[in-house]
Amino acid sequence: MAGPNLRPPGRRNRAELGAYATLSLISAFCAIPFFWVLLASIDGNASLFLQWPRELTIDNYLRIFLVEDGTRWVLNSLFVVGTATAIVMVLAGLGGYALSRTRAWWKRPFLYTILLIRVLPTTALIVPLYKVLLTANNGLGSMLRAVFGNEMARSMLRYVGFIDGYLGLILVLATMQLPLALWIMKTFFDSVPRDYEEAALMDGATLVQRIRRVLIPLALPGLGAAGLFAFISAWGDFLLPLILLSSPELQTLPLGLFRAFLRVNTIDYGFLAALAFVYLLPAVIAFGFARRFLVQTFSGGVKG
Amino acid sequence: MAVIELKNVRKFYGALEVIKGVDIRVEDGEFAVFVGPSGCGKSTLLRMIAGLESIDDGDFLLDGKRMNDIAPDKRGIAMVFQSYALYPHMTVAENIGFSLDLKKVPKAEIRRQVEATAAILQLTDYLDRRPAALSGGQRQRVAIGRAIIKKPAVILFDEPLSNLDAALRVQMRAELQRLHRDIGATVVYVTHDQVEAMTMADRIVVLNGGRVAQEAAPITLYHKPDNSFVATFIGSPRMNLIPVMLARPGDGTVRLRSEAGWSIYLQDPGAGLPDGPARLGIRPEHLRLAEGSERDFEAETVVVERLGVETYVTVGSLEDPVMARLEGDVAIRPGDRVGFQIDRAACHLFGPDGQAFRRA
Repeated sequence: MAGPNLRPPGRRNRAELGAYATLSLISAFCAIPFFWVLLASIDGNASLFLQWPRELTIDNYLRIFLVEDGTRWVLNSLFVVGTATAIVMVLAGLGGYALSRTRAWWKRPFLYTILLIRVLPTTALIVPLYKVLLTANNGLGSMLRAVFGNEMARSMLRYVGFIDGYLGLILVLATMQLPLALWIMKTFFDSVPRDYEEAALMDGATLVQRIRRVLIPLALPGLGAAGLFAFISAWGDFLLPLILLSSPELQTLPLGLFRAFLRVNTIDYGFLAALAFVYLLPAVIAFGFARRFLVQTFSGGVKG
Repeated sequence: MAVIELKNVRKFYGALEVIKGVDIRVEDGEFAVFVGPSGCGKSTLLRMIAGLESIDDGDFLLDGKRMNDIAPDKRGIAMVFQSYALYPHMTVAENIGFSLDLKKVPKAEIRRQVEATAAILQLTDYLDRRPAALSGGQRQRVAIGRAIIKKPAVILFDEPLSNLDAALRVQMRAELQRLHRDIGATVVYVTHDQVEAMTMADRIVVLNGGRVAQEAAPITLYHKPDNSFVATFIGSPRMNLIPVMLARPGDGTVRLRSEAGWSIYLQDPGAGLPDGPARLGIRPEHLRLAEGSERDFEAETVVVERLGVETYVTVGSLEDPVMARLEGDVAIRPGDRVGFQIDRAACHLFGPDGQAFRRA
């Protein structure tokens, strides 16, 4: 704060001390669970309580990737969530642009309607969603079996099936994330003046060139923010993979974590903590990458 | 060569007609300014020439060739936007060379042309900067550079100086005129600022409500406005319009009797101007202080603006004011009664419909 501080130095120090003590307490309260996860994951003999490891070890991590199916879980998760995020970014980029530029009468109603998807609890949607996907899956399955035969169709369904296949989960995850991403991109494009596109048009840019060389670079901060939200939210989703996936080779990280927790013999906290750490790392990394875009997007669009 | 012709051009937004049959001709190499109040259609007209707005009716000809349905980049026209619209993710050099890059011109050739353009606009030291790191005047010059590197036959300017401060605006006016002389392209320049129009234009097109109110050289607009709209829009402070009753005593003069009760006699402008209500137009600079028998009318002062080099005196009432522009510093106080003489040679007469009647 500018200006003279009228309080005597002694009392000011005490007030500052109090403020910092409170902040430290709150920070510790928030940080300790993460600290516990990190400590327990490198503790050969972890328990439910916070303790300093007697010996440091990476056994827990080795077990995830060498003994258990950890590598597959991570790759499955990255593939499913990454593809869903990519779909969201493409659709939100195109759709957000269209929604920003159109003057159609249905624009507002449409924007509020898609937000409704976000408001409805996923749990409530599971039954009808499953029903629709199952019907689609059966139809697709019989079609594939007729064309490619039983054996081939089964391995194809693992990728393009709507139930117990990558495609179904990817589409549903993308659908869940799309409304918010559309809103972010629509709002973002609202702040990008039409003049840029018109200037590019006068410069002789074709539609593809206008999108690739002008619009995408301008929209990058918005796309980064929309993609980040989609990735983090889809990465954290547990219910949808639980309902839609059953084959062991399709399991994603949250499912692996969940099943490890449910094992009948004693709970291995070190293993769980290591798995949890692996699970939260990509979200943190994604945030680190997109933080700059996030700040730019929410502090008002394109500058320059 | 680039002669711009607009023939009975119209534009509709839904049922609303915003351009109502406009005919304009701009000669090759001319600096034409479209001027008018906001909403008069001047920017829309410019965008129709650029190809950014469709032409709903009528023809736009460039050197006699119909351009209505030609794509914007195929018209040989460049445009400088009000917001400059510099791509923030490109450097100054990339911004200026973007159109050449799109045409697949070799990199070395682009660099050569960009440097030549930058030299004209004094941008050589800034080529590697991003637009965000430039001042307003520099951004303006980059926007101009992006236009002239295409060697266009026509350059369109959409209120290019409105984002600059007053001092920079005066400087850029001079630079734009010099640039126009150097490159010789036909220029169409849109502004709402009549001073910009008067100082830069070879030809001014005054637009009002989607129609051409008058099209002429700047000084012609000042001396011979066709109607009361042009008369009050061009010139600052604006022309006084005084409601009068017109009568003909029968000696080749007309008698104008104001509502305040004073009268003056002018030479009869002839047929077409009926007896009855009319308006007398007189510019503030054509009123001078007078006393005794010399004065035409006398009124109470309501506002005095002393600028040193000149003094603006407003008399009458604030609702129905008459302003005089007096040379030098004149010590008049609000509330003083002052007499004025009207310069008979500078009087304009407007009929009830606003049309001007010229002295023969």
